[in-house]
Amino acid sequence: MTIALSIQDVHVTLGHNEVLKGVSLDAVPGEFVTLLGASGSGKTTLLNVIAGLQRVGRGHVLFDGANVERRPPRKRKVGVVFQSYALFPRMSVGENVAFPLRAARRPGAERRRIAQEMLELVDLAGMAGRTPDSLSGGQRQRVALARALASDPGILLLDEPMAALDKQLRERMQVEIKRIQQQVGITTVAVTHDQAEAMTMSDRVAIMQHGRLIQVDSPENLYRRPVNEYVASFLGEANLFPADHRGPLPAGAGGPASGTAVIRPEDLVILDAAHPADRWSIRGVVRLLSFQGSRFRLELATPEGQVVVCSLPPHAEVGALVPGSEATLGCAAPHRVHVIRASDAEPLLGVAA
Amino acid sequence: MADTPLRRGIGWYRGPVLVVALLTSLLFYLPFLVVVATSWTGTSFIIFPPQDFSLEWYSTVLGDVEWTDAFRVSLWVSAAGTVVAVVLGTLGALALARLRSRAARRWVRTLFIVPMAVPPVAYAVGLYSVNLRFAALQENLTLLILGEALLAMPYVFVMVSTGLGQADPALRPAASTLGAAWPLIVWRIDLPMIAGHMVAGAIFAFAVIFDEVVLSVFLAPIGVKTLPLQMLDASQEALSPELTAASTLVSMLAVLMLGAFSLISNRRAARARRLARKAATA
Repeated sequence: MTIALSIQDVHVTLGHNEVLKGVSLDAVPGEFVTLLGASGSGKTTLLNVIAGLQRVGRGHVLFDGANVERRPPRKRKVGVVFQSYALFPRMSVGENVAFPLRAARRPGAERRRIAQEMLELVDLAGMAGRTPDSLSGGQRQRVALARALASDPGILLLDEPMAALDKQLRERMQVEIKRIQQQVGITTVAVTHDQAEAMTMSDRVAIMQHGRLIQVDSPENLYRRPVNEYVASFLGEANLFPADHRGPLPAGAGGPASGTAVIRPEDLVILDAAHPADRWSIRGVVRLLSFQGSRFRLELATPEGQVVVCSLPPHAEVGALVPGSEATLGCAAPHRVHVIRASDAEPLLGVAA
Repeated sequence: MADTPLRRGIGWYRGPVLVVALLTSLLFYLPFLVVVATSWTGTSFIIFPPQDFSLEWYSTVLGDVEWTDAFRVSLWVSAAGTVVAVVLGTLGALALARLRSRAARRWVRTLFIVPMAVPPVAYAVGLYSVNLRFAALQENLTLLILGEALLAMPYVFVMVSTGLGQADPALRPAASTLGAAWPLIVWRIDLPMIAGHMVAGAIFAFAVIFDEVVLSVFLAPIGVKTLPLQMLDASQEALSPELTAASTLVSMLAVLMLGAFSLISNRRAARARRLARKAATA
């Protein structure tokens, strides 16, 4: 059983602090949506609103079109994986996974069978008799996931699921969670502040800032067509230049800028300084060149004091790029440059301030 | 002399520190040892060092109905009082953990701990006037048991609150999203987690009630004596070795109980350590 989720203009105030300021979000059945934002942006509060652990001040939460704001958490049929996993310390792994079935008063044989199936799903078959404190961090996370899915909930909520894991395990578990989510086909909302995690797992990512959703889109669209400067620099590295509707303005040009061009490091190339092309370019002094395996990362300081980051292919000839030397950068694919128009961006930025 | 961390840490201060520690422990244990020693005496009065050696006074105490009755009354009052204290203290701690407002939590915590600070005499006088009002309460131990339970309840409350405070605050929300109603959460999540703390609180409560004498003076029905009351009376009459023999017996009982308790909790700690090691290598 999987459901469609609809959040409509939800407001939440804690004390004197307005944590959510009118959030609307829809997810189709089986979709994986990640809430991405800095800490304090309200993403965990929004997750608690869906779970029923946080009362809604104004607005609506709908599961498959039915209002659930008044429904207590235990009647919402949501599966939650908490940041700490919240495994019950005095129960075995099997009892933990079977707990939602015990709460639903299902018979013992059925409880054991489903717990067994769930543990197989998360690759922990044979661990039912262990206690949670004898498991490693990754195993605990799998148990929490199995427990959240055991009662066949309509929606799965993941609160910073990777926060307690080390980096290598994190990357493995991201793929693993995505596999399980697709196998079960359950609507999923996850919370994270790690953009790589959000992009790996999600169908769509919702960028949150100061209690509002700034942009909800596929990872690719967020990267290529951010709606404002905050989104542009939050996801990956971005170079922002003043621009008009045709593209970035030449350095030092007096013309009024009507927007901001977002040029990703991999879209910048080194131009031959002797033949300045008639297209847009930017000059600067090399600050730092570092080799990162799949690329060289070049940092350039422009005379205006802006730092420009450029990616060079790993086999590029970089002998001339010693710190302090001059270089000129141009745009590799001008048609790919995304311009944030000031008229679009301003109301959103005004809101964010 | 070896260059140990202790030596480097506090240097020559070690000497005086050790002497003070030794004197302090002597101050604790010497009077007790004197009491034990005087109970062996063959004389009919308390004398130190004891003369002769006999267990006569022990058999006197154990054979004397006044002493055994007092012991039985004390056991009953302590047991019943402990049960009431554990139930009330645990309920209070569970309620405290469920309060959302920080101000309310502070108030409730304070109100539950205050009985520790109230002088038992003031408390006893208050209850005594209740006792005078209701003739039905004068003939039995109800009011004494309730009074003692309320004096001991803060110990249970503090112990159980500590246990609940150590738990992951996400456990209860997690259980509710998994479909559990509150009775199931209390029964399957809270109680198993705090069982150890409840036992510790119960031992404290039992010890507090067993030793308590002020409430007994005011609230014990006429002709009924708790053991501390009996001891107090005995000390006011003649200082007979009966008193020290009884004291020794009670102290032995307490030492045995505490010893058994620390043995159990040591075993549990060792088991937890073993599990943690296993998880680290998994």
